Amino acid sequence: MHERLAVNGDLPLWAVVLACALALVSVGVLLAVELRRRERGGPAIVVTGLLALAALLAAIARPVRIAARESVIGAKVIVLADMSRSMALPQNGKSPRADVRDTAVSEIAKKAKEARLHVLGFGDGPAVPIATGAGAAKPGEASSSRASTAERSDLTTALRALAASAEERPQAIVVVSDGRLDDPGEDAAKEQLQALGRDLKVPIHTVATTVNAPADASVRRVSAAGAAVAHVPLPLKVDVGCAGGLSCDELTVTARELREDGAPALLATGLAHLKDGKGTVDLAVTLDRAGARILEISITPPSGDTIPENDRRLLTFNVARERVRVLHVAGRPTSDVRALRQWLKSDASVDVVAFFILRTQSDTPNARQEDLSLIPFPVDELFTEHLPSFDAVVLQDFDAQPYGLERHLPQLARYVKAGGGLIMVGGQNSFVAGGYANTPLAEVLPVTLDGSPGATAADVANVIPAWTDDGRAAPLLSPLHDIVGEELPQMPGSNVLGDVRPGGLVLWAHPTRTTKSGSPMPILAIGDQGDGRSIALGVDGAWQLEFSQLGARTSGRGYGALWDGLLGWLMRDPRFEPGQLELVSPCVADAPTKLRVRLPSATAQKDMTVEVRRLDKQDVPPIRVEVPKRSAGSSSAVEISLPPLAAGGYTARLKLGAGPTTRRDFACESGGDEWADSRPDRERMRALASATGGSFHDATDDLTLPLPKPAVVSAERHVVPLAPSWAWSLAAAIALGLHWFARRRSGLS
Amino acid sequence: MKRSWSVLVVSSLVATAIAVLIVLLPRPAQAFGDVGAFDPRVLLVGGVNGAARTSAPARWSWELVQRTSAPGRLKPTQVRADDPSVVDAPFLFLSGENGLAPFTPQEISGLRKFFALGGILLVDDAGVSDVGAPSAFGRSAREQIARVLPDTSPIALGPDHVVFKTFYLLRRAEGRVAGPKTLEAIVRGGQVQVLFSSHDIGGALARGATGAWENPVVPGGDVQRERAIRLAVNIAMYTLCSNYKDDQVHAPFLMRRRALPGGP
Repeated sequence: MHERLAVNGDLPLWAVVLACALALVSVGVLLAVELRRRERGGPAIVVTGLLALAALLAAIARPVRIAARESVIGAKVIVLADMSRSMALPQNGKSPRADVRDTAVSEIAKKAKEARLHVLGFGDGPAVPIATGAGAAKPGEASSSRASTAERSDLTTALRALAASAEERPQAIVVVSDGRLDDPGEDAAKEQLQALGRDLKVPIHTVATTVNAPADASVRRVSAAGAAVAHVPLPLKVDVGCAGGLSCDELTVTARELREDGAPALLATGLAHLKDGKGTVDLAVTLDRAGARILEISITPPSGDTIPENDRRLLTFNVARERVRVLHVAGRPTSDVRALRQWLKSDASVDVVAFFILRTQSDTPNARQEDLSLIPFPVDELFTEHLPSFDAVVLQDFDAQPYGLERHLPQLARYVKAGGGLIMVGGQNSFVAGGYANTPLAEVLPVTLDGSPGATAADVANVIPAWTDDGRAAPLLSPLHDIVGEELPQMPGSNVLGDVRPGGLVLWAHPTRTTKSGSPMPILAIGDQGDGRSIALGVDGAWQLEFSQLGARTSGRGYGALWDGLLGWLMRDPRFEPGQLELVSPCVADAPTKLRVRLPSATAQKDMTVEVRRLDKQDVPPIRVEVPKRSAGSSSAVEISLPPLAAGGYTARLKLGAGPTTRRDFACESGGDEWADSRPDRERMRALASATGGSFHDATDDLTLPLPKPAVVSAERHVVPLAPSWAWSLAAAIALGLHWFARRRSGLS
Repeated sequence: MKRSWSVLVVSSLVATAIAVLIVLLPRPAQAFGDVGAFDPRVLLVGGVNGAARTSAPARWSWELVQRTSAPGRLKPTQVRADDPSVVDAPFLFLSGENGLAPFTPQEISGLRKFFALGGILLVDDAGVSDVGAPSAFGRSAREQIARVLPDTSPIALGPDHVVFKTFYLLRRAEGRVAGPKTLEAIVRGGQVQVLFSSHDIGGALARGATGAWENPVVPGGDVQRERAIRLAVNIAMYTLCSNYKDDQVHAPFLMRRRALPGGP
């Protein structure tokens, strides 16, 4: 408890000042005028005058005694430490920049003992508290709370969040970073930097962790002009750079697509000429498959490159599809061909290229060639040059042998495995009868074909396909099932198909005929084939979903619903997928990753696994993670944790039971954007401090910062008058009386 | 003698091998019936009890099968307009010489269901005059079809329409009579629903059991008959392929052939 004297609290400051001034003038007059007098009683007059003045002053001020409990509160200072992944870059080839950052934060805390330091980490969004002091990790030691894992270094968002906070405003900000910030950017104007401190109305002091750039060549930035659309060339602008004394006049830049079915496919390559350590090259890449596709953009680094992780970027492009390009090849015109063609042509989202065999060698049209509208079937051109441009190929009642398709079957099989879609529709020239058994194409069908001598190709008895349990549950047939229920039209026979291959699913089966293994013979089966998908429909009577009494009752909608589902599933339309996979947050190499699995409620109790496989190193064994079963009525989304993954491209497949899978491709990078440009940026740190009235320091400097002084705060206060007001007035009156008496005695008035 | 034995043995072995190969080769699928084949179904409606040219539908299918890869029903069926099975296939053939009785509500309902699914009806006027003037059948058929498809009216289809190039390249429509150069059609959404022929195409197709043509073709004789058969084939191909020949991929070929001297 501190005690002190003070004037009465009801007295304004100006009154105290005025009273003191008058008293001083009076003292001056007394001393200057009265002491010069040589008459009797001069000293007495001065003494009593001074006494009277003091009494009057006391009567005005009426002093009080104040007893108070007080404390000294240091100024609130927020230290914003850069938690982005660029802080994990090595400093001078040794420990990471994060160690320098942590040391600097500790040093600031040590030097600013009078301030109240709050250490926050900034990165992706608003700054969050990080451990300091005893709980903090020592430099070089990993700590979850101080790990440099943020995908961005967004200082602007962190400062705005502080300004918007309802908590006590800081009186100073200290930023500790390498200066390689996403926001404010490299080209930020002084006004932008000033605006950062304006909201908080405080100076921003900056501490740069890093001075020298490492010897590094890197892919600094990849930007695409517009969205990626399948089959449409996508211009890419690739910025590359060299720093840290590396000598590189030009760098070779390569763009490749990571594919599940084989080695990465080279899409484009170019040479970047570097000037002042920077260069740009424009590449045009064409992605043929829609969905998430992983592109690897890489450089051939010069010798002496110390950071190989940023020599390649792995980027996920979500390739959209303008229209589904379908190649429809039919062996002969039938009602089934008519129905499919009309459905394909009626859908504006489908771009169909059709070739129908209208005449065989045995037909006699009785006309000159020029009287016919027939054109040659460009089998070689279609199945070599143009094949990759199609999203799906429909072979309907088509015999491979007479038209030269046999020699292209290996290419067609590769097309499917590389991500293409294939539907083989039944008829008298399909499957075994079309010569597809024992060919490479048979390997990518979802069912086996009997290629043995004398194999039966067709069962010509009328058949009403039977729904299987998988067919009833399959999302791709759900719209059809909603329309027709269990009823299907009678169809004129079926192709003889073998057992479904592993990973395939039978949706419709023959009601009586069985395969060699004794299973009901598949009529409609689907399956994954490498990166692509295929469907086998072993009947040519599906058109009767349109033209039949069932079709009339359902307005023919069943046929469209069937093909909408089949083609949609082939194109991985999310509506027809058994589940969906997505990354909870971007995948960071060597850090745990989470996948969110969205599942229909019907699958709650099914066995499910997620298989994660490397795209760029296919000899690496896949990782399998069980998806926990859910209780009925629980959320349809489940999050599963994946172990830390090495840098690379991955494909995750959700397997529900034995059927086809839902897949999601994604990339894991070591550094990502944060490592793309490894140069520190001290000048940006200096400019920020200068623009906001703060000071700039290197981490190696003396970190005694010009921080605000602490404030004194009274916690408890007692005010007691020294004497009552009347006593002061009485004393003043007595003193004045004495003074008057002394003056009268000396003959003065 | 020895040599002849050797030849015999070798020949036997070769023959056996060929026989074994034939047996062991995968057997081609037998046709899955002919449900998906072109079926010139005769429509029984408005008092019509069959095709005006009885042998024409079967001959139509036969010509189609002989000339093209398309399958056809060699024994075409008949269906009443008020029968539920009228919707079982996408094509109907209505021909006659006499005026039609007004369609009953049931017949109208059946035909509307057929058209709603995308079916095509060919109305062939067998009573057309040699100069192409419609008969009572032709006139009444238009009136009755207008009751089935109100708010529609036939338009002329010239040689630019796909029906004139679905298999043969044709410059005009012809049948037993030369008639008008065009066909008429009710078209909805780019798809033909009803084709009206004032040419008696069935008359040009009809052929008796003896193999003789049943009707003379005027004025062009056998050359005109051949063109009439080609038109019938084209109509069948239009039914099975829709507007396939309108695809862009065919355009340059067809333009070149149309431009050939003496071409169609």
